[in-house]
Amino acid sequence: MATYTYEHTPDHGAKAGVLAYLATSAAVLLLMMVFGLLMRLEQAQWISIGADRFYELMTLHGAGMVGIAAIAGASVMWHFLRQYVDLSSRIFIANLVLFLAGVVMILGSVLIGHFHGAWTFLFPLPGKSMGMWSPGAAALFMGGLLVIGVGFLLLHLDIARAIVARYGNFARALGWPQLFGHDDGKAPPPTVVASAMVTIVNVIGLVVGASILTMMLVNLYVPGFDIDPLLAKGMIYFFGHIFINATIYMAVIAVYEILPRYTQRPWKSNKVFLASWTASTLMVMFIFPHHLLMDFAFPKWMLVMGHVIGYLNTVPILVVTGYGALMIVYRSGIRWDMASKLLFLSLFGWAAGAMPAFIDGTITVNYVMHNTLWVPGHFHTYLLLGMVTMVFGFMYYLGKPDHEADDRLLDRIAFWLFTSSVLGFTLSFLYSGKESVARRYAAHLPEWVPYDRIGAVFAMLVIASSLLFIVRFFSRIGLARHDYQRAPVARAATA
Amino acid sequence: MTAIAPDRARIRFCALGALYLLLAAPPVRSWLEATMSGHMLVQIPLLAAIGFAACRLLVAHHQERLLAIAGGPIPLVVVALFASSWWMLPRALDDALAHPLVEVAKFVSLPALVGVPLALAWRRLGIIGRGFVWTNFISMLAVLGWLYLAAPQRLCNSYLVDQQESAGWLMVKLALLLFAAWLGHLFVGGPPVGNPRAVHGP
Repeated sequence: MATYTYEHTPDHGAKAGVLAYLATSAAVLLLMMVFGLLMRLEQAQWISIGADRFYELMTLHGAGMVGIAAIAGASVMWHFLRQYVDLSSRIFIANLVLFLAGVVMILGSVLIGHFHGAWTFLFPLPGKSMGMWSPGAAALFMGGLLVIGVGFLLLHLDIARAIVARYGNFARALGWPQLFGHDDGKAPPPTVVASAMVTIVNVIGLVVGASILTMMLVNLYVPGFDIDPLLAKGMIYFFGHIFINATIYMAVIAVYEILPRYTQRPWKSNKVFLASWTASTLMVMFIFPHHLLMDFAFPKWMLVMGHVIGYLNTVPILVVTGYGALMIVYRSGIRWDMASKLLFLSLFGWAAGAMPAFIDGTITVNYVMHNTLWVPGHFHTYLLLGMVTMVFGFMYYLGKPDHEADDRLLDRIAFWLFTSSVLGFTLSFLYSGKESVARRYAAHLPEWVPYDRIGAVFAMLVIASSLLFIVRFFSRIGLARHDYQRAPVARAATA
Repeated sequence: MTAIAPDRARIRFCALGALYLLLAAPPVRSWLEATMSGHMLVQIPLLAAIGFAACRLLVAHHQERLLAIAGGPIPLVVVALFASSWWMLPRALDDALAHPLVEVAKFVSLPALVGVPLALAWRRLGIIGRGFVWTNFISMLAVLGWLYLAAPQRLCNSYLVDQQESAGWLMVKLALLLFAAWLGHLFVGGPPVGNPRAVHGP
């Protein structure tokens, strides 16, 4: 059996590009959180913005959150991956520039063109607005998504180039020689395995996404070129589901890289770890039909596949990562600080957030739950308490003044405020779902309003605590560029 | 850039010339152009491939010189993109069948404006540029095939709807195969590595 020992790796500061990614993510995240709060306040009947504005905000909130999740995840992946492979800074920046150009196009389409067909832009809605928005606004929105997709395609091609240059091919980068042969303990580190997986699935997803976006743009101006709506929906969900799933697979690299520095224990790329990432590489591409279980017109085999793989894919990486984190922390004498606490919390958020999807992925449950607020409850837990929390942990880590520095009282309060308010916020969604509150806005019954009010209050607290995290990051951004030891030495290591 | 022995290069050049003349010969030309699939997916790619292969037979410093004259790989890729896009248009296919001059233009432009520029630019593009060209080409092929399938009417006067559908399906299938092959090649080969866990440095 292979043996793994912890090898201290230099703790590099972040490149300017990584900080630009994080700064963009933080700014957009706050803005999108405010948009989300406005939606909750509208449903709570504390403000009145009207249905059109509600859907505009929902479109921006969805597209914006998916976009910054990808940008923030990419920054984590790029920061750590460049320890092992030669990445191009120019391509990394080009992606951010294209992302910002795409964001401007999307903002223009929604705020000026009043496009509000949701970030899922399901066919034929963008082209059939009944006068609510012009074809130009829809084209601008879809064009913006295409531009963002081109940027990410370039980034992943660069990562593919760098991985192939260092490891020879993707099979080695995924650790297949060790997985299917003798484990000599020389499998690539978790960061490389995760980055290889994300690159494979995202390149496939982006090509499919670009194809359907181009077809919809053609259809927008020449409706005679008809598209099968079911095929379009399948392709959109294939692309969208892979893209949003990949964000957490990128962000979890922060856990793989940072927690070992706190515990002085290695994160092992053993057979179980490698098998879980290889299994998820395949399954993440076939899981999307679990969102389509109510579409009776879809081929039955696809729905069965979505159901089965929905169950299976919940397990490998999540369980292996969660178990790995528990093992690495257990009796390690870890000295908890904001970064390590947030990273540890994020694994709970990921696990807890996956469970509602696991339940909703059961066809009989799906029939009654899928169009309720249960589903927003799932992805808000998964993304906010999982993915975003990983990014906050990464931000705190980069900005930690020195390895002995203690957290300020305000930060510690903000940590517990964030944890409790995100739980309150997401549970208000989940409980609303349990009470059959529809997630479609048009019919919002008075009986549902109390849940919205509770959710809105918690949303305000989430924003307040997130604001403190972000202010702290910006106030320490100068430190983030420097190379020095950030993680405190665990008590077990010093004993 | 590995040099090819002059004798061998001459033989290969002759073989390419023979293939070109074979494609231009009336019976083969008529046979390939009788179907939309033969026209679009066999004759046109082969003409571009002949230009690509012929250019690779040139002596390395001639290739470098041509690349420098053209201003680097990007303008060459743009030329190849526009020239190949033109010959994807149904109207261009009709014109080539109806007007001998356009047919001649097709036989000249595909090797000279698609194959040669791509061959000159290819090595300089690096894996990112090549990956971008491949993924762009594959998406374009898939989307074009889909457009041919979804078109509400005949797009070419010279070909019937069933020809159009057949060509569309073939394009979609070819795109899927090419993508799988491109992705698959990332999983094989490559030099063995030293210590895969070693830290690379800043």
